[in-house]
Amino acid sequence: MGMRQRLPIISLIARLVLAGVFVTAALPKIQDPVAFGQSIIAYRLIEGDLVGWTALALPWLELICAIGLLMPWLKRASAIWIAGLLLVFITLHASAWARGLDIDCGCFGESDGSGINYSLSILRNTALLAAVSYLIWLDFAQKSPLKLKT
Amino acid sequence: MRSLGREFIIIAILVCLGMGFSLATGRSPLPWAAPEIGPGEIRLIDAKALDLIWVDARNEEDFAKAHIPEAILLNEENWDTGLINLMEAWLSIPRPMVIYCADASCGTSKKIAERLREALPEAEIYTLKGGWESWE
Repeated sequence: MGMRQRLPIISLIARLVLAGVFVTAALPKIQDPVAFGQSIIAYRLIEGDLVGWTALALPWLELICAIGLLMPWLKRASAIWIAGLLLVFITLHASAWARGLDIDCGCFGESDGSGINYSLSILRNTALLAAVSYLIWLDFAQKSPLKLKT
Repeated sequence: MRSLGREFIIIAILVCLGMGFSLATGRSPLPWAAPEIGPGEIRLIDAKALDLIWVDARNEEDFAKAHIPEAILLNEENWDTGLINLMEAWLSIPRPMVIYCADASCGTSKKIAERLREALPEAEIYTLKGGWESWE
């Protein structure tokens, strides 16, 4: 099987993995936005009403974009949103790490209280960012009229 | 490009519907009505992120039953001995202090915090929102 034949399989696997991770992350936060709000506060970057709005909107954005990745009519915007979210998460974790905050990630809803492993979180999000970047490239390369014929 | 814009609009509409669902079903509190913390208060989750000195302002009996690890007992009854213990801990490693009493309705922690601010004007002093109940 050549590389061109393998591309749809790799793309499908990347979409399924990303969708799985983001659905898993979103559902507990939708169930308990108050606990998620507490996790947001712990990062000490936003406060007040903005915390409540973020705790309310972000999980839904994650869920819809996760499902959207698998929908042909939503997959491009969903991939761009997910890439943006991952960039924000990586920056947040790096920032909290640099400030020496001993906090719970809040990434997958309520934590077991064991704290965050910053290097692991950043590594995981970077790998997911690489996967979604590949999907964005694939979607836009297929749409582009300047696509190179191989 | 127009179809990409349409995708973003659909996502925005679906997110708004989801938020509406969370609010309508009572899963989420109203963001604009989020309870604020009072002046000098700190939430448990914020306090846990800090290296600090816990000060237990409840009575000796409650303290003996259970308390936050390494907390120092300091209330109106044992003010002198408690203050000495607290000063020792603070002078060895100056850290913020968080005072707690039984629950959100008790006012002891605030009274102790006021006295401590007078006694130690250079110290960073907070009261724990929700008190011991939030720790439990």
